[in-house]
Amino acid sequence: MFTQTSIILGIIVIVFFLALQVFKMSPELSMIISAFVGALVAGFGLPIRHIVEGTFTYLDIILTIIAATLFMNILEDSKAISYIVRSIVTNFYKQRLILLILLMLVLLLPGALTGAGSVSVLISGGIVATVLYSMGIPLVNVTAIVFIGAALSVVTPPVNIYAMIISGGVNMPYIGFFAPLLIPILILAIFTAIFLGWKGKPLELNEILGKLPPVPPKMYGFKAYFPFIVLIGLMVTTRIFPHTFPILGIPLIFIISSIAALIVVWLNGQKINILLISKNTLKQLFPLISTLVAVGIFVQILTLTGVRGLLVVTVLSLPIWLVYVGLAFALPIGEAILLYGVAAVLGVPLIFLFNNSLGLDPILATVGISLICPLGDALPPTRIIGRLTVETLNYEGSYTSFLKKCAIPWIVITVAGICLIIFSNSLKFLLI
Amino acid sequence: MSNKTIRKIIIILFSIIMMIVAGREFLIRLNQREPIVKGPGVTTIAKLSDYFEDIKGTIGDTDVYIMDGDEEGGTVLIISGGHPNEISGVLTNVLFIENANIIKGRVLLIPFANNSGFTAGHPGEAYPMRYTINTEWGSRWFRFGDRWTNPLHQWPDPEVYVHYPSGQSLSGFDIRNLNRCFPGRENGTLTEKVAFAITQLIKKEKVDMTIDLHEAEPMYPVINTIVAHQRAMDIAVFAEMNLSAYEGIRIGKELSPENLHGLTHRELGDYTDTFALLAETCNPIQDPCRGRTDENLLLTGKDDFILKAGKLGLLFVPFDENGSPVDERVGRHTSTVLELINSFSELYPDKEIIISNVPRYSEVIEKGVGHYLLEPEGNL
Repeated sequence: MFTQTSIILGIIVIVFFLALQVFKMSPELSMIISAFVGALVAGFGLPIRHIVEGTFTYLDIILTIIAATLFMNILEDSKAISYIVRSIVTNFYKQRLILLILLMLVLLLPGALTGAGSVSVLISGGIVATVLYSMGIPLVNVTAIVFIGAALSVVTPPVNIYAMIISGGVNMPYIGFFAPLLIPILILAIFTAIFLGWKGKPLELNEILGKLPPVPPKMYGFKAYFPFIVLIGLMVTTRIFPHTFPILGIPLIFIISSIAALIVVWLNGQKINILLISKNTLKQLFPLISTLVAVGIFVQILTLTGVRGLLVVTVLSLPIWLVYVGLAFALPIGEAILLYGVAAVLGVPLIFLFNNSLGLDPILATVGISLICPLGDALPPTRIIGRLTVETLNYEGSYTSFLKKCAIPWIVITVAGICLIIFSNSLKFLLI
Repeated sequence: MSNKTIRKIIIILFSIIMMIVAGREFLIRLNQREPIVKGPGVTTIAKLSDYFEDIKGTIGDTDVYIMDGDEEGGTVLIISGGHPNEISGVLTNVLFIENANIIKGRVLLIPFANNSGFTAGHPGEAYPMRYTINTEWGSRWFRFGDRWTNPLHQWPDPEVYVHYPSGQSLSGFDIRNLNRCFPGRENGTLTEKVAFAITQLIKKEKVDMTIDLHEAEPMYPVINTIVAHQRAMDIAVFAEMNLSAYEGIRIGKELSPENLHGLTHRELGDYTDTFALLAETCNPIQDPCRGRTDENLLLTGKDDFILKAGKLGLLFVPFDENGSPVDERVGRHTSTVLELINSFSELYPDKEIIISNVPRYSEVIEKGVGHYLLEPEGNL
């Protein structure tokens, strides 16, 4: 069984790289084609039912991402995000440290709600970068701050897709992740902002306000925050009254909050084209959705053919020092190739190893793994978030110079992730 | 027409064909039911909705087989299919339905407790949709379902499932896990209503003992064991001793944790007068380090990767080259159920239950499950 399954794995890997590198297909198509070939050589023919079933693996996550991104896009079009950034700048333009921290939070928010770093870059990346640049921070540093912020936003709660995929794979509830994710992420995000953004010049208030997008005169105070209040209110109410309040589900909660955002737009007398925003949202998310669908198919076929089992049992057999050192390289590289698939292919067996074999805390170990993964979004062949950040911010220096600038925060985040795993049993106080 | 357009049309056509082919299979799984033969001991086939009308006409409604003995005695309920991917419980119940002769007392059986779960697969797990048991006269097929209620029948899940009435927090998807929903909720979700209906059945039929049949993966600690509510612990102790002494079956016994809510062995014991017990066997197809996922693994339980995991000390059951075949798993369950009934009858002689013609462990292993399956009439 070992030899046969290893051959199947080898063929899947070869077909994947051929499709990706030689035929220049996307990672998603490469995954699907290698899955087809894997099933074929394993003797399953073209297992249509499995392929279609696999596409549904992350349906709930996909719906959440779509609804959350629609919500964020309406907020952006209604200028609520601009209003929030202008308020921050107006109130804290003399206090560099607080300003840096708050701008980092604005950067984290869209990704935290949607689980997609690209949404952070697109919704708040540009506006935050404008302020950072005006603070005298070199553009290469600004680009690095926005990328690291976007990468961290992917794993910021409440929506951490890596943790969701790993939890589903090891039959562990996605519960109790909020504090252990939020605390290290906030520390790492603030460190990054200070490390890369501390040096600069004082902010000229009038100059920066002139550069920021204007907000409608009626967009102020409570109204700007109303959609967030509805969002948090519904989430909290469903938890407080679980047996009397109807089960809405996260996607519907975001849709209702989007309606709240539209009500604010109407009260402000603004006009936005909701159909166009919806279309753009789906266009914007198409790469992410296709990744999740492709990963679903890929995982289903890996499981069907026994390759998943081979990976699990191989990881469980490795010397532990090798696993810890390997995390720093395997997770980002896996992310660069498989995108979210790294959580299913490497994350799940790693949690079995850490929890079942070594007795480490599975939640903190999952947090540690998920922290390291999105750094790979700056690496080839895909470099999705890295490329998007560079393009959105019009950074014209070399891509390597941008990567070099990310190096120290990258190393710190990686070490933090590995420490969260190794010392998970001593860090259980984070499980609030 | 450009190459890009042609490529798009080909991809769309290919996708439509895949949707039609897969959709047909999903539709069959949604509607088709395996034949169960009404054995000579079955007196009545009732419906679960007879005990809670709200689930009438829903997918939650399921058959309840009632077997009345010649003499009055105690009443036992055997539940299986609470997790539709744990097959040995279903097959054990079918063996009882098609073979058992009740001499004294009553036996109630719910083979497909989470009926909805039998209509779904679990994306990502690549499970087979059905399996076939060979018999002397041909073969019988059975559905292999999902651990959870089909999302088509109950959706969306909350972010966090808060169990009623304990208030315990569980993962959102466990709101579709029947064995996390007991004692159930009258105005709850479909799964909570099914749990409520089973609780009502136990109350109305004055069920003295309830046995819930399950399976677990070799890497899961609660396996090859009997879990008993504290009131039922003495029954489990006697059964364990007898299984070990007379049949050489190594089986553990565990006390139902008081703070782990929603499970049959906790809630049915707390909210009804029944003695609540749950039995587990070992099912390798549920294990994350399993190899090729197919019907062969489901039925033979042989897997080299799990064997390797065993050598690494990661398993909670002995596991060798012989695997964990379905005959052995069903045999363990039939003997466990019979021995629990015997122990109950010895401890409570005024409620004695006597059953004959159900094969025990060694007989099932020797002759195979198929030997005890009857031939249904008509088209299979």
